[in-house]
Amino acid sequence: MPLADALSFFPGLATAAAEPAEDAAALRRLAEWCGRYSPWTAPDGVDGVRIEITGSAHLWGGERALAADLIARLDRRHVSGRTAIADTLGAAWAIARFAEMGKDLVILPPGDCRAALAPLPVEALRLDPVTAQGLRRVGLKRIGDLSAMPRDALARRFGQTIARRLDQALDNLPEPLSPLGEVPTRRVRLSFAEPITEPTDLMLATERLTADLVQRLVREGTGARRVDLGFHRVDGQVERIRLGTARPSRDPRHLAALFKERLDTVDPGLGVEDMILAAFAVEPLPAEQIGLLGHPAGSEASGIAPLLDRLGNKLGLAAVSRLEPRESHIPERASVRVQPHLTLPIADAVGPLPLPPKGRRGPASSPSPLLGAERGGVRWGVSGKPPRPIRLFEPPEPVEAFWLLPDDPPFRFAWRRRRHRVTRADGPERIADEWWQPAASSADPREGGDAIRDYYRVEDEEGRRFWLFRAGLHGNDRPPRWFVHGVFS
Amino acid sequence: MIAERALLPELREHIRRIERPTAPTHGVLPFGVAAIDRVLPSGGLARGALHEILGASGDEEDGALAAAFAAGIVGRLARLPTSPSPSLTRRVPSLSPLKGGEGNEARLLSLSAPRGGEGWGEVGVVLWCLPRPDLYGSGLAAHGLDPGRLVLVRAPRDDEILWAMEEGLRAPGIAAVVGEIGVLPAVASRRLQLAAERSGIIALLLRRWRDGGQAARERALPNAAVTRWRIAALPSQPPQGEPGVGRPRWRIELLRCRGGEPACWEVEGADATGHVSLAATLADRPARPVSSERFRRAG
Repeated sequence: MPLADALSFFPGLATAAAEPAEDAAALRRLAEWCGRYSPWTAPDGVDGVRIEITGSAHLWGGERALAADLIARLDRRHVSGRTAIADTLGAAWAIARFAEMGKDLVILPPGDCRAALAPLPVEALRLDPVTAQGLRRVGLKRIGDLSAMPRDALARRFGQTIARRLDQALDNLPEPLSPLGEVPTRRVRLSFAEPITEPTDLMLATERLTADLVQRLVREGTGARRVDLGFHRVDGQVERIRLGTARPSRDPRHLAALFKERLDTVDPGLGVEDMILAAFAVEPLPAEQIGLLGHPAGSEASGIAPLLDRLGNKLGLAAVSRLEPRESHIPERASVRVQPHLTLPIADAVGPLPLPPKGRRGPASSPSPLLGAERGGVRWGVSGKPPRPIRLFEPPEPVEAFWLLPDDPPFRFAWRRRRHRVTRADGPERIADEWWQPAASSADPREGGDAIRDYYRVEDEEGRRFWLFRAGLHGNDRPPRWFVHGVFS
Repeated sequence: MIAERALLPELREHIRRIERPTAPTHGVLPFGVAAIDRVLPSGGLARGALHEILGASGDEEDGALAAAFAAGIVGRLARLPTSPSPSLTRRVPSLSPLKGGEGNEARLLSLSAPRGGEGWGEVGVVLWCLPRPDLYGSGLAAHGLDPGRLVLVRAPRDDEILWAMEEGLRAPGIAAVVGEIGVLPAVASRRLQLAAERSGIIALLLRRWRDGGQAARERALPNAAVTRWRIAALPSQPPQGEPGVGRPRWRIELLRCRGGEPACWEVEGADATGHVSLAATLADRPARPVSSERFRRAG
């Protein structure tokens, strides 16, 4: 009924504006909190949470104990609800919402749930209202009635959905759960009898968790590349620390040190009651030989991988990069920043994604993946070309230049509010656009006829040497623009 | 008689160490130019120490010459032979098959081998920390530094760059650490110097400023760097008076050196092997380096 009518019946009614977005966010947080039972959790509609407890019930001493724990904790948070455990998602959904009132927890024994579902109304099959209304009009009020009917007749009259939902509920059709976050490959959990807040306690717990995880990784001969440490707080919020390593690692001290640096970003609130360490990406990691006298017997690459991890995890993984040469005439594309240990360029490198060079060996097999003047057959320093500057500006900075004849280098230019008088110049070196590549960012001075650049290496009266270029040709309706692209030594 | 003859060099070495306590303990990296090496203590740039490089006038903003100078130094580090220099007080093990046995010292296995890649093959990784990623690979290669050895660390703030440099100085497998910063607290420079001494890795600080006021303040501040250089650009002399830009020329000033006098030289910029060379017009001058200041500056 409308709110006005309700208020007329009961003037003292307490009302509050509906906030569907906030409700959805709160439900999401609840689903995230339920991650302490199993990583496969997801919000269900607007008022439910679905959890896949297939492999994790034994950690709690059985399904009944797990459900009891869940209900007790929800009670503490003043969240009332009904819980159902069943073989299939459809059956659990139906039982939780439509089973007899008065029972907060229903656990269906494994096996056929046909008998338990039979007395429930057809709305329990997650059908839309129109279809359910149509079924009722025909006289099919319970799921038991439906399962006796021939399927193709139902499908012809009411659509394929009914058959699908029925099959899903009766475990004839699989219905996977799409979890909220990524599902980890390995997970270890530590629960505390009393919530903890002290940073030293948190650090001790972190070290124990990393030791447990490392034990598992050692048994399997793998190392972790991405780990996530979740702190489940008493008030239901989950704080996370996410780490990535350059090489698969199972060194407990290294991982604990990486976590320790980020521990002060975690706010324990009123207390942390669970800590869950999950490894998302694991890679095979053979046993490493340690050298004599403490010198690592491996290549230098294994020695600086922990350093790269520390730098990357504190400054951001895009902050650490290496330079790689590329075959290109365009100067800003000839040198590309890539992630160490990989040959994929990082997000802010200008230019299209190059193909990996042929014959590339993976990092695990290459003896010194960081070294070598030649990467994928492309060498630094092309011979026969004029020298290149040591500093290159991205994007090139515009200057005001004055020249006498069209092909001449400028005799004077102004850059960064300073005037320079040119005494010597080399050039022009013409670099045209690579028609086989798509154009780069719009900050590029290459629009239409400006795709051609004439580069000059100029020296001013102080002796500083710049790399200027003129974008565009003379004779167009627009005068050509000048830029400084780099500074020589 | 024989024992006395052996005693004398030892005593000389002892006295030298007392007189010059600042002698570098990790060896030196010579420039290859006699005029410069003569002024530096022990004939070269001290390894395991912090060195500061400034640009001059407009180059303070871009830091191109400072970067080229640093690239030359680091590039030469890769080509350093592992034969011990006379000032080393411990023997360098060279059991790696690449270097072969050079003299009698090669067959000694010293338990106190210095870290930092020395003796295990000089090709270590170079950590270059900078606020804006404007280093160009081809330009570096032209100055003798193989860009494949570089790991760039980009950090917008000075304190993050200092932290990254310190982490690099403590890690194994690093050959050199270069950092570009504007504001350098004296305490931080002391920490970097100590870390460099402990690990034997050479640390270069390039100073870059955008703000003239900050530049004037920072230039006057003392810090713990062992040497302080300033590189300025000079007009080039193309060969035989041809038009165009010739080989780059620099004025290198040694503003401050622990255990040495300030001096300045006009050189031609670092070539593809990382070596600078005295400008041709100076080749006929007397061997004494031209000192522009006879007093030590406070910075």
